[in-house]
Amino acid sequence: MTLRDLLRTSSGNLGRHPVRTVLSAVGVTVGILTIVTMVSLGVGVQKEIVDQFKSAGLETINIYPVTEERLDYMPFGEPQRTVLITPEIVEEMRARDDVVEVRPIVYVPSGAEVYLELGDEELNVRAYVGDSTWGFGDPFTEPPRLLAGRELATDSEGELLLSVEALESLGYVEQSEWEDFVGREVLLVLKAPRGETASFPFVVVGVQESMYWGANIGVSDALALKSWWYNDPDILEHEGYDRLRIKAVSLNDAVKIVTELEEHGFRVESLRLILDNMNRALVVLQTMLGSIGTLALLVASIGIANTMVMAVYERTKEIGILKAIGASPGDIRRLFVAESAFIGLVGGVAGTILGWLLGLGLNRLILAVMHWQEIPVRGTFFVVNGWLVVLALAFATIVGLLSGLYPASRAARLDPIEALRYE
Amino acid sequence: METVVRAAGLTRRYKMGDAFVDALRGVDLVICRGEFVALVGPSGSGKSTVLNLIGGLDRPTSGQVWIDGVELSATDERTLTRHRREHVGFVFQTFNLLPRLTAEENVALPLMFSGVPHQERLDRARALLERVGLTHRLTHRPTQLSGGEQQRVAIARALVGQPALLLADEPTGNLDTTTGGEIMALLQELNQEGDLTLLVVTHDPEVAAFADRVVKLRDGRVEA
Repeated sequence: MTLRDLLRTSSGNLGRHPVRTVLSAVGVTVGILTIVTMVSLGVGVQKEIVDQFKSAGLETINIYPVTEERLDYMPFGEPQRTVLITPEIVEEMRARDDVVEVRPIVYVPSGAEVYLELGDEELNVRAYVGDSTWGFGDPFTEPPRLLAGRELATDSEGELLLSVEALESLGYVEQSEWEDFVGREVLLVLKAPRGETASFPFVVVGVQESMYWGANIGVSDALALKSWWYNDPDILEHEGYDRLRIKAVSLNDAVKIVTELEEHGFRVESLRLILDNMNRALVVLQTMLGSIGTLALLVASIGIANTMVMAVYERTKEIGILKAIGASPGDIRRLFVAESAFIGLVGGVAGTILGWLLGLGLNRLILAVMHWQEIPVRGTFFVVNGWLVVLALAFATIVGLLSGLYPASRAARLDPIEALRYE
Repeated sequence: METVVRAAGLTRRYKMGDAFVDALRGVDLVICRGEFVALVGPSGSGKSTVLNLIGGLDRPTSGQVWIDGVELSATDERTLTRHRREHVGFVFQTFNLLPRLTAEENVALPLMFSGVPHQERLDRARALLERVGLTHRLTHRPTQLSGGEQQRVAIARALVGQPALLLADEPTGNLDTTTGGEIMALLQELNQEGDLTLLVVTHDPEVAAFADRVVKLRDGRVEA
């Protein structure tokens, strides 16, 4: 019996009882649907993260100062910094050949109340250095988009980028109105809890769409703000920078720099490290979700085995006839195993298609919900690729095949005379 | 004349519950090539058991049976399968066609197991259906055929593997007298055309009358 005969005969036999075939295959469909949906989610999210991280740059390294451990009996005291990011280190890094870019960052104290005086209007904002892609933040967020004017100059002083969201809250929604703000002189006011204020003059150089409701300023301006807040004219000397962002020439260079800086005692984060950890977590997630589907398939296989045992009973006489006209036990076994595998395949095809459709639907739903919640997220979180389809179909077929082994061997062992007498 | 079937001291004991039933108690039989033999006897005399042993569907409890010189009682399953595939063809009382297959597909089916290519199988099936007078019924399913037509299809199926020996178990048992006569006439023709050897089990004397020789069985033994 050739493979073609086998396929033709077994598919023909299944076609005799379409309802039963479909019902038996439903279990497999559910199992494969689960696996495909879950694994495609894992694959999609992983791909998104990797892509976003790649665009953010795997060569990027963030260096943080090291602080003393917080003391239990002084819960409100600021821990002292023991390893500082000094201007000398910044210069040292800038002098290296394997570094493309070095950006020191200073945090404006989070307890400070900050507002902008725009003529008669006041606008509460958050003052910050750098943009959202400077940190590692959320890789699914879109990088800020410039809507009017220009970016901040490197080592800018007295320059400020406004977020469009803040302007919109004041009723400025037109592009032309945003353009009008470019070049305007504003006062950034810092207010201490006890009421003292300090004003810093800025020039608006641009308007951007950003995840922060705020004002993007340069490092030296942030230092000036911080210096006033802590009443420390030599804050840079005492505290250093809050963070240093370095972009290495290549990934290998980044790995090397990370090792060196760690030897110097700095706390270092690189996208590579985060990505590795995330990948590990995702593999665990995928395995877990995949196991749920596998459990469903296990249940499905019992259903298929039941169907096949019934089929062997029903077709006892036919098996007798086939044996009488020259079918070997092996032929009978192959016929039933092929039928069983076919049920698995049918369920697998349906499950893969449904899983893919479900993924498309869920993806739309997630993006719609995110959009409704005004979370700027984009991307494809469910990815059904070639190998997933192949694996899913192979898995479904193997489940069917294994389920059919026992019924098939029963069929093969039937005594032809007994079988022929069966009515 | 060349011997096709030789059985010596065949016994067959069945277990039924705790008791044993001796269906055959020592059957000796020789059938030559081209012979048309009728095996007759009352029910329970062991006719069908002899047929099954010769056809390789069953093994004797003791004794031996040779078909075309091959001894069957001690062979493995593989040899028995090959024997059924190449040396014998079965015709049953209840026709035993597969209901979902057309006439030509039913006839071609045994060739699938011997690995004959699809088209050749259908060609050979059609030729045989033409021989048994069913050219106009090639694509009909068994339920669309009369009893006589179904038995003709079954005969064509039994012959498609070009066996030396055709074994028929009450081939007219489910047919009216006229149709039964036609089927027997067809079998007789097939027997006379070539060197096809025929062994027909029946309890009907009119059927036995078509045969060259009648072997009588009673209580598991051949009557002298």
